[in-house]
Amino acid sequence: MNIGKCTRPLGAATLMLLLAQAGAAQETLKLGISAPMSGSAATWGLGMEWAAEQAAEHVNEDGGVTVDGKTYNFEVVTYDNKYSATEGARNAQTMLNRDGVKFIAGSIGTAPVRAMQALTERNGVILFNTAWGKSVKGPQFRYTFTQMNTPFEILEPFYSFIKEQHPDLETAVLISPNDATGQELEPVAVETWKSLGVEMLASDWYERGTTEFQPIATKIASLDPGLVDFSAAPPTDVGSILKELDVLGWEGVKVMTAGTSVEALMAVAGDAAEGAYLGASADFSSDSATEVQKKLNAGAREALGEPLNGITISSYDAILALRAAMQEADSVDPEKIKDVLPSVRFDSSYGPSGFGGADVYDYPQQMLIPVIVTQVVDGKAVELTRSNPAELEALSND
Amino acid sequence: MELFVQLLANTLQIGAVYVLFALGLTLIFGVMKIVNFAHGAFFTAAALIVTSMVPFATVELGVPLWAGYLLAAFAAIAVVLSIGALVYSIGFQHVLKDLNGSFILSIGLLLILNGAYLAIYGGAPRSVPQVLPGTVNVFGATLTAQRLALVIVAAVVTGGLYLLIERTRLGLALRAVAMDQEAAMLQGIPYRRVALYGFLIGAALAACAGVLMAPINAVTPVSGDEFLIKAFIIIIIGGLGSVTGAIIGGLFIAMVESVGGYFFDPSTATLAMFILVIGFLLVRPQGILGNVE
Amino acid sequence: MWNKSFGVWVCVALAISSVLFALLATNGYYASLLVWILTNAVLASALRFVLQIGELNIATAAFFGIGAYTTATTAVLLGWPFWLTLLLAPLMAAVLSALFGWVTLRTKGPYFLLVSFAVTEVIRLIYTQTNVIGGNSGLVGMFPPMAIDAYYPALAIALLAATLFALYGFERSDLGRLFKAIENNDAIPRSVGLNVVFLKVLCVVIASAAVGLAGGIHAYANTVIAPSDFAYFVAVLALAYVKIGGEGHPFGPILGAAVLTLVGQWVAGISAWENIFYGAVIVMTLRVFPGGLVGLAERARGLVTRSAR
Repeated sequence: MNIGKCTRPLGAATLMLLLAQAGAAQETLKLGISAPMSGSAATWGLGMEWAAEQAAEHVNEDGGVTVDGKTYNFEVVTYDNKYSATEGARNAQTMLNRDGVKFIAGSIGTAPVRAMQALTERNGVILFNTAWGKSVKGPQFRYTFTQMNTPFEILEPFYSFIKEQHPDLETAVLISPNDATGQELEPVAVETWKSLGVEMLASDWYERGTTEFQPIATKIASLDPGLVDFSAAPPTDVGSILKELDVLGWEGVKVMTAGTSVEALMAVAGDAAEGAYLGASADFSSDSATEVQKKLNAGAREALGEPLNGITISSYDAILALRAAMQEADSVDPEKIKDVLPSVRFDSSYGPSGFGGADVYDYPQQMLIPVIVTQVVDGKAVELTRSNPAELEALSND
Repeated sequence: MELFVQLLANTLQIGAVYVLFALGLTLIFGVMKIVNFAHGAFFTAAALIVTSMVPFATVELGVPLWAGYLLAAFAAIAVVLSIGALVYSIGFQHVLKDLNGSFILSIGLLLILNGAYLAIYGGAPRSVPQVLPGTVNVFGATLTAQRLALVIVAAVVTGGLYLLIERTRLGLALRAVAMDQEAAMLQGIPYRRVALYGFLIGAALAACAGVLMAPINAVTPVSGDEFLIKAFIIIIIGGLGSVTGAIIGGLFIAMVESVGGYFFDPSTATLAMFILVIGFLLVRPQGILGNVE
Repeated sequence: MWNKSFGVWVCVALAISSVLFALLATNGYYASLLVWILTNAVLASALRFVLQIGELNIATAAFFGIGAYTTATTAVLLGWPFWLTLLLAPLMAAVLSALFGWVTLRTKGPYFLLVSFAVTEVIRLIYTQTNVIGGNSGLVGMFPPMAIDAYYPALAIALLAATLFALYGFERSDLGRLFKAIENNDAIPRSVGLNVVFLKVLCVVIASAAVGLAGGIHAYANTVIAPSDFAYFVAVLALAYVKIGGEGHPFGPILGAAVLTLVGQWVAGISAWENIFYGAVIVMTLRVFPGGLVGLAERARGLVTRSAR
């Protein structure tokens, strides 16, 4: 892919085409990525593609994957799913039937992931995904694995931690984007806050693509809750609301469960974001990040102008999990790999990891990575606590 | 009382940008009889240029922030005018008065421009520092100084445009062309040149909105497109091609968003807006001030 | 002009060989590709069908969605039999489009374009806010019955091709000539006592039933549908197919759909450059051969000058 990267700035789209068509060298395993590469979520797709390419390069430099006496190199192929189910299904068709992809190392968007899953499960193709819904998991989906933390992993430790910091917290308002992720998250969020004794004053929705947030800010300010939870809202939207809230003089606890990028938040909100808690952001340049993560993060900043986050780095972890499973199974047959993955141990970018989550989903298909709570302090994400899921603890104590 | 003042302030803040954006769209429709789907791309280009010019001017040239911003504003408008002239000459001038042809042409241009922005600037949101920090209190409503400036500048620009349309020879030509192109040509008005001017003024208005919004909202390669759908609704309500209609429609939609978002939720307000516009069209298909086609 | 009956027979032969190909193909991808091409061809042809009366109907996307949602809802939530769910799709689309047309067709030109655009957005927003049909996540699990499953692409191709022929038939009929008369000047048909609004509604209903069926077929072909699949952009792409194929000839939208779908597949995997490439194809085609590919072919043959539009 190096050639591809050099030609990109030159705009040689045609050359890219040739490359995309050519790459069927004999001992190359294609790893698919299906993510939005255009439109407002393109930044996630670009980040995920980049992280996957780094992982593939890393594996190839290590001498590839040797299985049953044969050595395979990884190659990443990216497809734009435009965040829609139709494109997701078409991506899957193209990947599986035209390009012979057997492993999907990363996919973004609940609707396209569900569309792909209908095909990958039937055709026996491993599908790594970042979908936040419970609906994509379960023992009936044995080829499906989740590569990042979802609300079911994050919310309980995240909210409990916040409540501990602010014991006199009584009221909250929840603001959700009207999209698949927002709809999956909202009931869990309401339920979890309630179990912590926090009363929900309002749970409001807004359309993705909204540009003006004064009305919702005015409403929040007049309800004057102790806390505002922005659930699955993307950082730029949250930033806009926080800025308006600041103008209106509201002060309280700010919570971003899907808060992935502090930079994006700061770009919009500035000082108004100070003190916000983020559930899905990890500062991969901080001291608590691993060496691998620091290096990746710096590289991404260089190449994309933006650091990595919990979503984009996940393709790196998925590829390392796949390598470990291939070696363990001594095979590149997805049929065998899917049986090995639930019990495989591998080195993720966070450190040693494996799969779990059987208690919640009835099948161990959730990648075990730490839940990292960060807070915006002086415009930077500062890690407050990093809690390993109990299963990961048990795994590392073995 | 205080609440209503705040809701009114919200309406004006939101409406100011909508009006600028919709004015350009409606002007272009008026003179060229085309629906320009790529209008948002002018907004985005201007906002993106501001985000890259301001740091350059303040750091490399060492000028103060306000001067850097003004410099960036002029550069942005100049670049957008060049882009406008380019897309006009390679595309739009060949599809004048062809509704379907121009529509699909503008979609093609939108895909190219958005792809180019993504390739040049990346998808990450970009921002510039606030030029006018701080908040002001007007009759009990609070708003940022930056927003207040935006409302004032937008009002001045809108007023200026109104004078241009009503009082100048160019304005007369624009109106004549919008009303009846063939009759205007018979009167010796050079249609193609007037159409180009109309198009460029429209693009400049979008650029102006982009320049004003850059210090307020984060800028992404698709920022402008999100205003486009609202702007369509506004010009339907105001009447296609009507300048006054675009102003009234812009403020009206801003009010629906402001009041509906407060009493219900923003998602419901968005839905209400669409239903309203359908209802509106049925009662008064030509909009508030539109001419019957 | 092409020799009419010869052209039709070529198309019949193409349709039959497509069906046979789908039956015999070992690789599911190419059969699916044919289904996508034909689905897009139906969308584009239906859009062009309404262009006959001079209106650009963005709600083509909405009726495609209504067909898909009708099939998906009755199949997944109610468990109705396969054929019934497929039959309901065009019926539902026809009924709702009659209502839509009756209400909106008093507007014309840019107003109709924008109101049909608004209707498409409203319907999409309603899907997202209705939890029964899955909200934003949409509906999943539309599978054809086991007995049909293996032949489904062939069946889909046959039905879609039949729909295209039906649209062609309507266009060539007396009714089609009336539609064209409306486009040129609706005062003339009105002056001879024809109910112009009724004819316009009929035109929209025929086109919507066609896309409704395509929507139902799409639901089974895709097994998953979600609101974002039925945004106005579907109609925008359909217009691109029409323009690039050439709107002067019924084969234009089909050719345009085939070319752009294949190009789209070919560029899949070049990520961010995909849009630039796609946009460039659209702009270049419009500029270099405004009559579309069919117009180009006709010009090349030098048989007749390009048709008026």
